[in-house]
Amino acid sequence: MDAFFSALQAILNGLLTGALYALVGMGMALIFGVMRIVNFAHGTFLMLGMYATYYIFEKTGLNPYFGFVLASAFLFCLGYLIYRGLIQHMPVHSDFMQILLTLGLALIFTDTIQLTFGADYHQLNLPLLAKNVHLGPQISLNAPWLVSFGLAVVLGSGMYWFVMHTRIGRAARAIAQNRYASPLVGINVHAVQAVSFGLGVAGAGIAGGLLLPVFYIYPTVGDQFTLKAFVMVVLGGMGSIQGAAVAGLVLGVVESLTSLYWGNEWALAVDFVIFLLVLSLRPAGIFGSQRV
Amino acid sequence: MTRSKSLIAAGLFAVCLLVPLVVRADYNLQVLFRVFLFAALGLAWNLVGGYAGQLSLGHAAYFGSGAYAMALLPPLGVSLWLALFLGIILAMAFAALIGGVSFRLRGPYFALATIAFAEVLRLLAKNLPSVTGGDVGIQVPSLFAHAINRSFYFAAVVLTAMAFSVTVWVSRSKFGYYLMAIREDEDTALSVGVNTARTKLKALFLSAGITALGGALYGSLFLFIVPDQVLSLDISNEIAIVAMLGGAGTVLGPILGSIILESASEIFKNVFHEAHLLIYGLLLVVVVMFLPEGIVGTVNSLLARRRATSATAAKSQAQRNSAP
Amino acid sequence: MKRYVCPLLAVSLVCLLGPSGCGKGETRQGFHIGVITSLTGSTAAFGQAHKNGYAVALADVNAKGGVLGKQVVLDYYDDQSKPDQAVQGVSKLVDQNHVSMILGAYSSENTRAIVPVVTQKQVVLLMPTATADNVMETGSPWAFRICAGSGAYAATTLDFLEHNGAPKTIAIVYENTNFGQSNEKSMLDAAKAAGLDVADTEAYQASSPDYKALLQRVKSKNPEAVYFASYLLDASTLMRQAEQVGLNPKYYTSAGTGFAAAEFPTTDKGAGKNAEYTFSVSQWLPTARWNGSKEFDEAFFKNTGAHPAYHAMEAYAALITAAAAINAAKSADATAIRNSLRQIDLPDTPFGPVKFDAQGQNQHPVLITQVLEGQYKVVWPTGAAEAKAVIPTPPWNKR
Repeated sequence: MDAFFSALQAILNGLLTGALYALVGMGMALIFGVMRIVNFAHGTFLMLGMYATYYIFEKTGLNPYFGFVLASAFLFCLGYLIYRGLIQHMPVHSDFMQILLTLGLALIFTDTIQLTFGADYHQLNLPLLAKNVHLGPQISLNAPWLVSFGLAVVLGSGMYWFVMHTRIGRAARAIAQNRYASPLVGINVHAVQAVSFGLGVAGAGIAGGLLLPVFYIYPTVGDQFTLKAFVMVVLGGMGSIQGAAVAGLVLGVVESLTSLYWGNEWALAVDFVIFLLVLSLRPAGIFGSQRV
Repeated sequence: MTRSKSLIAAGLFAVCLLVPLVVRADYNLQVLFRVFLFAALGLAWNLVGGYAGQLSLGHAAYFGSGAYAMALLPPLGVSLWLALFLGIILAMAFAALIGGVSFRLRGPYFALATIAFAEVLRLLAKNLPSVTGGDVGIQVPSLFAHAINRSFYFAAVVLTAMAFSVTVWVSRSKFGYYLMAIREDEDTALSVGVNTARTKLKALFLSAGITALGGALYGSLFLFIVPDQVLSLDISNEIAIVAMLGGAGTVLGPILGSIILESASEIFKNVFHEAHLLIYGLLLVVVVMFLPEGIVGTVNSLLARRRATSATAAKSQAQRNSAP
Repeated sequence: MKRYVCPLLAVSLVCLLGPSGCGKGETRQGFHIGVITSLTGSTAAFGQAHKNGYAVALADVNAKGGVLGKQVVLDYYDDQSKPDQAVQGVSKLVDQNHVSMILGAYSSENTRAIVPVVTQKQVVLLMPTATADNVMETGSPWAFRICAGSGAYAATTLDFLEHNGAPKTIAIVYENTNFGQSNEKSMLDAAKAAGLDVADTEAYQASSPDYKALLQRVKSKNPEAVYFASYLLDASTLMRQAEQVGLNPKYYTSAGTGFAAAEFPTTDKGAGKNAEYTFSVSQWLPTARWNGSKEFDEAFFKNTGAHPAYHAMEAYAALITAAAAINAAKSADATAIRNSLRQIDLPDTPFGPVKFDAQGQNQHPVLITQVLEGQYKVVWPTGAAEAKAVIPTPPWNKR
């Protein structure tokens, strides 16, 4: 019976972590899945979101669970400007050039943060961190993770609604479908793409802000999330926001169960193995319908 | 290659071999070793990434294979040079596996798959310390006993010359044309009868073999390796950037890219200290925005445009002359 | 084509000779000591701690007249947390800066990597913080280590346990890096030699958000003692989540580092009350009774606004030991300095007594501390103890 509860606890913890992964993945689904921009700076944007939220907290005392809104607004603007200033004007739009550009940006931001805030780790110890919600004697869930989960679900749904039901969201999907026909139907391609990029970046920033209370902050904290974000988008299926969200949850649970049965050190490796299996056997992903 | 170009190449090769007469200090030789090593690695990557247009960001897998073969086999009684050879075989085995799975994928999927493979290898090496030494590291025997830095420098120059020759051969051969056809339009190439899967794999085998040799040299010079060094995404990125910065799909590109990038890294570190990564990042952004074809590529384009304008100028001049 | 070859060759020449030119512009005044540490990369935070520690020591040494009548100048090389860069750094510092002594590196793998090359170049290496056992394995006469190694950590911990309840089983939880893996190995070997049963070993990926599954596995094996090798942030997370999981061994022990950090018992930056009753090995605390220890803590705090962890102290100790050795040698020659270090005997530094054995290892005493009422109290060895150890650790629900 104990084994059952262990597994259940691991699955629940995995879902809580997975919700934050899902936010990161949804942002990447917008940028990579819909806009086909290979963004190797996604994790760095998450880190910037964490630092922005942290800075707001340090300067004004604003609780991160509210502060992340301001931080994500800042990141939206940053993403928009990066698209307008750099990506839009790239002379060659190949995958590799995008990778190089975003890698360069990642280095610039990471080093700037290190020079400004120092390389040392910081931690935000809110009193909430010590509170646990108990479901029966065997299961306990940590309060901040539950709050993050709730917020992630709300925001994720918001992002999904935006992409599916607003004009700009539909325009973004139209561009993904056929870039050349879109201007013909009156879509300002660059404006829409800039907004979508900003939104994707903001998604990463929100995840960063929500992670702040339960995690640590240091300049290279975002790197581990970039690759996972790609894994989620592929797993979920290109162009599918909800697919990336589900993939995020799946990844969280898989990592948690791997830690339970095999060892924490293998969790990341298992992520990649699943990724490779999906690419070999079902490249379209869970929800994907497009040919690879 | 034309006679005069062959002579120039041979001459430059000889000059490179004579450099240690002038440059004695170990530090300078080590920097030069790095330059030539990455030139060779860039050239090797170029076969797959430049000519075949397959963006591999997982070349660390082959690099690490060479390095770990040198670390793990000699203690079992294998001679150093045999270990070197077996490292190449190991890398080619991985190439077969990676290529077999990944070459079916297009565009960014291929790149991501190569990253995933290299990462799995890195994590395996890290998590099995009883086999590989893990993060505590493992010793690598030195290939050379005397004048170590000079000998490794020579080895790197020879490796670059090898990679260069292979690249030149590829660029002029039918095999090379098939690769370029695959790069330009894989479906069309397939439709005209090119065996795309086999061709791409052949290029990957060549690329992996040379890369493994580079890894073995590297491990053997530094005498000590850890997975986060020889199997990391950083190495894969550096190899690819060297080739792209210089100009992928060109013969001279990776060499030039390595010279500039490796020297720039070192200079930035000494001049900018903690800010050197910031400057490096700026360099990447500048290259993407202003020199997307790499340096040699941009130079070639400028030359081509010059020739085109001078040709049309000559033509219109001739027309004017022949006008009644 | 020819028109472009010449400028391309010119650019290449500039680039190739550029790095060589960089060293020469530096001033040759003052006495130069080389420092290799990680100013960027994954261990940059500790490299900076080194730098801050060196800075305090530099001020102290130069205030007392420097070395051989000259002011000391530190030539830094950033190894970017990569072993091959550390090796390159040695070459640069020796070939271009002409130093005869190098302090560094930060991490064990970088330090291990540079031992062969300092031996080959015959310059003195003084290691401040590398604790893995393999850094001293080559037996090089040029390598000296000022801190105690992971073998000493394991031995002292087991010694303490044997005299304080003698548990029969131990579990090892360690981060999957050089620091963690080397401490795990040391403890594994030492436990087997002492006849303890190692119930479980768990490696984890550092900086993960969730260790509860791992802690559940440890709990299921029911060890009497747990030995952690973790940095501060994971230490805090692990202890917090240990309570959530209900893991209650009789002893929480550790290989220092995170469990010995100044912030660990605090609520805002550490594990708060979850740190209570944990044991840790310790090389130094700001409250240590050594002469000059408090002054170092104050000077460091004044410079940086934070209290030093022992890494910074070890860097400080390394530089003042180096200065003392060079002054005693009355020479800048590497061999003379090496011989001077072999014989040096400083019984009263802020880092305690410094004296190297025949293998170049400083016999630095390792203490065991326990967090009691939010403070680190030395509980072992009995001669140095300030408080009696509280054993067994009360279970979480009884606190």
